[in-house]
Amino acid sequence: MTKPIVEMENVKKYFPIRGGVFSRVVGNIKAVDDVSFSINKGETLGLVGESGCGKSTLGRTILRLLEPSGGQVFFKGNNIFETEKHEFQKLRRELQIIFQDPYSSLNPRLNVGEIIGESLEIHKISSGKEKQKRVEYMLEVCGLAPHHHRRYPHEFSGGQRQRVGIARALTLNPDFVVADEPISSLDVSIQAQIVNLMEDLQEKFGLTYLFISHDLSMVRHISDNVAVMYLGKIVEICGKSELYDNPLHPYTQALLSAVPVMDPDAKSQRIILKGDVPSPANPPEGCNFNPRCRYAEKRCRLEEPELREIDSGHLVSCHLVEKG
Amino acid sequence: MSHLLQVKNLFTTFNTEDGLVPAVNGISFNLNHGESLGIVGESGCGKSVACLSIMRLIGHPGKVTADEMLLDGTTLFSLSEKKMRHIRGNDMAFIFQEPMTSLNPVFTIGFQLQEAIRLHQGFSKDSAEDKSVEMLKMVGIPRAEKVFAEFPHSLSGGMRQRAMIAMALSCEPKILFADEPTTALDVTIQAQILEIMTDLRQRINTSIIFISHDLGVISEMVDRVIVMYCGTIVEDTDIRTLINEPKHPYTIGLINSKPRINIEMDKLEPIPGSVPNPLHMPSGCPYHPRCKDVMDICRQEIPKKLEYRSGHDVSCWLYSEQGGKMSRDKTYR
Repeated sequence: MTKPIVEMENVKKYFPIRGGVFSRVVGNIKAVDDVSFSINKGETLGLVGESGCGKSTLGRTILRLLEPSGGQVFFKGNNIFETEKHEFQKLRRELQIIFQDPYSSLNPRLNVGEIIGESLEIHKISSGKEKQKRVEYMLEVCGLAPHHHRRYPHEFSGGQRQRVGIARALTLNPDFVVADEPISSLDVSIQAQIVNLMEDLQEKFGLTYLFISHDLSMVRHISDNVAVMYLGKIVEICGKSELYDNPLHPYTQALLSAVPVMDPDAKSQRIILKGDVPSPANPPEGCNFNPRCRYAEKRCRLEEPELREIDSGHLVSCHLVEKG
Repeated sequence: MSHLLQVKNLFTTFNTEDGLVPAVNGISFNLNHGESLGIVGESGCGKSVACLSIMRLIGHPGKVTADEMLLDGTTLFSLSEKKMRHIRGNDMAFIFQEPMTSLNPVFTIGFQLQEAIRLHQGFSKDSAEDKSVEMLKMVGIPRAEKVFAEFPHSLSGGMRQRAMIAMALSCEPKILFADEPTTALDVTIQAQILEIMTDLRQRINTSIIFISHDLGVISEMVDRVIVMYCGTIVEDTDIRTLINEPKHPYTIGLINSKPRINIEMDKLEPIPGSVPNPLHMPSGCPYHPRCKDVMDICRQEIPKKLEYRSGHDVSCWLYSEQGGKMSRDKTYR
């Protein structure tokens, strides 16, 4: 069995709500609450959920771009959350992120060569001609022309900018890349180009991805395993075929049935969820999903379900799912 | 039977500092009573601008021209601005993409709803209030009486979009333009909104022009589809034919580049390149630089609309005599 490259244990990220006369902490927004899972080397874990469920916060907390409120993340055996800051910079080389919006995540005052090469200088890996060579190589690998390094971000289209964002993330030869909605601001015909590029690069460099997205069809295409998040918690996690063919959590079932299918003859057996996602500042008692769940029982309103293994490799957090 | 909406050779150009931008480049289509028509295309292909042009909502520096633009037999161009205001909101209504920005934040939901009802239908204040609450209930807003007095900021995205739909349908328009009404929403909320729209369409019998870039949403909502690329219509047929037997290489590319949720695929087939800059349109067919079946003629001349089959129009040289693809299909007339 392949060893996990990233292991998470009870990761938490709370944002304090301040109020009152002395701006005391009057509550917490539990953006990420007790999340544990692991990702094997060379695999892609898809992380899906609706907006506001905490997927991006989780992605950033893993990389310590946001300081965690609790829990542990092990990367190749090192505890990321407990590493000293200057030590952590060395680890950063191997942990990179691709951002959602290619329009705001590239500095408009730097040319592409500077954007991609910046990290090589910060980490004192190379400079001058050597750096230049690496930048040109990365541009070529990501489907741009080497002479593009003199151009500025505004001279590129959205898809090309996302390629620059990918090149920047990969210059340091990372092992683990968090891709935070890398395709959601791109046009349909460009999305496929970027996803194909990401797949090619994964094969070439042996990358491990955490692919955060709300596009369930694309996640099915790119992932090996898929985790479904709802209100800061993982509600279901398993292999992709298992998840899409045999979803067990009522939320996953509703989410999958809500995706419009490109087939006018398809008989829609849609489960329409009532209401909106509750506020994470004031989550419901018991199971987070109970106010919208069509199967909710008394137990669901009182007890919080645990994420437990139902089948080998298929974890669900629901009281009502039976084992086996 | 005459069509509800007839558009012939619609051009919309924007005179910018950098030159003329042809956003809509001579499109023609008809919409029948009670029909739902989808317009698909990538961002910048002119789908929203086309609809705004029909509503005469294009301002400076835009310029709209058309050979014909008839709503139920009336030429929309000849109308005075006063008459046009009477038609807007009453005969033609618009649901915008972003429910966050298209409601006025300083007026209550109820006030904004009443405005249209009182203006167009001459209701008194009290009866307009009753009608507004009834509309809010119809689109599935819980505690409608309370929401009536609330401001847009206190509603979630899905609720705001429902309020927009209530507003657009309050005067029972003949045509409803829905410009990506669910793009800004989550899938579960999108499912709610689509269900409400399908349900209301059957009750009010409105014709819908549904704009989207998502072929999945389109195939659920409409009977007939127009595919647009760079301001032109490249394919026009019913939804079943479009999904099962697409003819234009762009449509085929769009369908192949999207992964399906119910089928696993090894590799996606993206369309190479990107949409050309409207200021520097390629010669000939605007799609030729990205097309894999490109021929010499594609680089030189813009293809004309061809009837591939009755009710299935394609603008592509492949299906002309030069392309030779027409002869293989026996049903071609």
